[in-house]
Amino acid sequence: MTRAIARRIASGAVVLWAAATAAYLALLAAPGDIVDSLIGDGADTPQVRAQIIAEWNLDRPAVVQYLDYLWRAAQGDLGRSYLLQRPVGEVIGDQLPPTLRLAVAAAAFGVVLALVLAVTTRRRWVRGVSSTAELIIVSTPPFLIGIVLLSVFSFRFGIFPVSGDQSWAALVLPAVTLGLPIAGVLAQVLRDGLDRALDEPFAVTARARGLTERAVLVRHALRHALIPAVTVLGWLTGVLLGGAVIIEQVFGRPGLGQVTLQAVGNGDMPVVLAVVVLAAAVFVVINTAADLAYLLIDPRLRRTTS
Amino acid sequence: MRHTRPAAVVLALTLLLTACSSGGQQPAAVGRPVSGGSLTWAVEIEPITFNPHQYAQAKARLLVWNTFEALLGHDSQGGLVPWLSTGHQVSADGMTYTFALRTDVTFTDGTKFDAAAVKANIDQFFVEGYNPAVLAVQLRNLDRVEVVDPATVAFHLRQPDVLLLDFLSSPQGAQVSPKSLKEAKNLKAGGPELAGTGPFILDRYTAGQEVHFTKNAAYNWAPANAGHSGAAYLDEITYRFLKESSVRVGALTSGQVQVIEGVPATDEPLITANPQLSLSLSRGLNSGSAYSYYFNTTHAPFDDIRVRRAFREAVDVDAVLTGVYRGSATRAWSVIGPTSPFYDKTLEKTYGGDAAEANKLLDEAGWTARDADGFRTKDGKRLTVRLVQSAPFVRDRRDVLAQAVQAQVKQSAGIDLNIAVVDQGTATQALADGQYEVFDNSRADTDAGAALNLLLHSGGAINRTGFTDPALDKLLEQGRAGTDQAQRQAVYQRVQKLAITDQALILPLYAPADQIAASRAVGGLGFEPTAGVPGSAYHLWVSK
Repeated sequence: MTRAIARRIASGAVVLWAAATAAYLALLAAPGDIVDSLIGDGADTPQVRAQIIAEWNLDRPAVVQYLDYLWRAAQGDLGRSYLLQRPVGEVIGDQLPPTLRLAVAAAAFGVVLALVLAVTTRRRWVRGVSSTAELIIVSTPPFLIGIVLLSVFSFRFGIFPVSGDQSWAALVLPAVTLGLPIAGVLAQVLRDGLDRALDEPFAVTARARGLTERAVLVRHALRHALIPAVTVLGWLTGVLLGGAVIIEQVFGRPGLGQVTLQAVGNGDMPVVLAVVVLAAAVFVVINTAADLAYLLIDPRLRRTTS
Repeated sequence: MRHTRPAAVVLALTLLLTACSSGGQQPAAVGRPVSGGSLTWAVEIEPITFNPHQYAQAKARLLVWNTFEALLGHDSQGGLVPWLSTGHQVSADGMTYTFALRTDVTFTDGTKFDAAAVKANIDQFFVEGYNPAVLAVQLRNLDRVEVVDPATVAFHLRQPDVLLLDFLSSPQGAQVSPKSLKEAKNLKAGGPELAGTGPFILDRYTAGQEVHFTKNAAYNWAPANAGHSGAAYLDEITYRFLKESSVRVGALTSGQVQVIEGVPATDEPLITANPQLSLSLSRGLNSGSAYSYYFNTTHAPFDDIRVRRAFREAVDVDAVLTGVYRGSATRAWSVIGPTSPFYDKTLEKTYGGDAAEANKLLDEAGWTARDADGFRTKDGKRLTVRLVQSAPFVRDRRDVLAQAVQAQVKQSAGIDLNIAVVDQGTATQALADGQYEVFDNSRADTDAGAALNLLLHSGGAINRTGFTDPALDKLLEQGRAGTDQAQRQAVYQRVQKLAITDQALILPLYAPADQIAASRAVGGLGFEPTAGVPGSAYHLWVSK
């Protein structure tokens, strides 16, 4: 057991290192250098360049900068943001909680809605309607969903505030906007899973024991249908982080999405690297959780792994 | 009745005239100002820094003056007025500027404002890496600052430079408490830990969401032209960062915020065509240089003045602006914005929009053949010019404007304008390598001379035309050194004539403007004199 955990942690560390390195190389390969980005459309003179290079130690070879970065990151020092002039740990620390709140609320809303949709829309015509609606939601840009929701529920009826992270009411519209596409995809996956499970012999057995169709569905088939749904958890992380960039912009919410967008646009290397490493860490954690969830959902797997 | 009618006409005329002369400074007169209350204002841009010395975004200017003040302010004619100073003198050789300071001013952290504080602020720029751009441009000719006595400070220059005064009236020249300069943990980022002398105190900043100010109750040193004195009317004001214009407009129309800035032309009807919403809209033209296309003269085809002229004649600027901005944009005729005292009005209607002339000039320049797509060619090479726009700096739908120009020059003269909207790194690279023929830019300097030095001087940091002319350099240097306003005006007229008429280096397009839309319950809205950007919250009040 401890060996399994150690292996997990080691592979997690490798993923983090690989993610940081890939992001470093990508930023290095991007056109223009950091000095250009820092100058922006301001005055570009040799003195200005020299001072910026001196301030950020940019005159060292890329390999040295990279190793130095890794060494300091390993000690928990993520450096300072070129653009915001603050420690990266502070920037990320400030912006992480609102994004977490948004992501958790959106994920919870999406999962619950998907479960409800998959279980309640078994009738042929209802599922047709629901399935079409899900497809439309999944193919609509979140930006548009957000603007439409805002126009109706905030600008027209004034039920929810437009912006910020002050209250739970302000979280509703962003979470719904981000959660809807998740519900759309998950509901489709769950429905497929249910269809397959209900065709299996155990469903016939359960029905033969006199269980109602609803009990077969919720108690037996759903458990089977959850396995493919858990598999898309990793994808979910990506959707939540990527979606946050747009949702935060539309709703004027604080959060990592905005910070990331600004950092990428301005070549703010320390912030971009920290966000990438953080995203990779979340990814590792979620995937570990998913692996554990398989064991929880499917007792057969417990036997084979031991 | 007989008497009231002419009176009413006179009143209406007066209102009209004052509205014109003040550039629509008071859009929503709602009685007499009242003290107290709070206000939420949705702004377009979140500042990357709250340290005024690091200021680089014109859209952040309205926030700077809430907390900080400078030695000099502006009047509405582009002149300078005392602010934290009571007057200044220039030595006969133009090498020493001596300021008498106010003695009744205190920073909000309790530190006294005096000559030593001014010196500490300027000395901070000489700290390596603090703001090299200001050191290299605005403070280029500054030798040292001398504390003559607590109420007198002298700036000693290496050579005459009147732009020092512009610096001392700019956000970068704003006065920060010397205690903050010494103790702030994140000095360059600014925020609540930097104390100023302004009418408000920045007490809360939530990145990505909002910045909050409370009234500085002790404030009692407003400049003479502020219109009122003592503390600000509002108890507190919140600026919320809403980057999407449709969201800002929706937040205003639904009453969730009371003021917004940055109203695109397409959204204006939502505000003006809805009388029951009680909203007002006003526009202020920015100072500095007009948004213009600069022709790269270092290589073909714009090394040939006939092609530069032809490009200008090929564009019907009025039609393009109407198409893109629905009549809400002000056409520019010179590189200098029309509100600047240096603006040369005689340039108006002297060029542009003559397709026949454009074609004649291109024929003369040898671009006579046409290829299958209808573009002109010479020696088998298409007449292609490239405009590279850096995405983070594209605003006011300048990408759409470029497409409209593209369509015009193709149709009227067979010129192929190639537009690329790219990331900042790619854009800088293209500029550094000379891989462009058209460069677009506008600058918001309050003294247009500062913009011209950067754009037109052969050693200018953003001289993208690559045009060098000792005579032009000499004129720009005279403009920088001269302290006599009339003389500077004459110099800059010659500069404009040389750049616009004689050399056709530039195609001016429009004068950048800011828009404010607000609930009619808000009074005191207006634009900062000269700069033309939304003013600080000092004048704002809310009717009860």
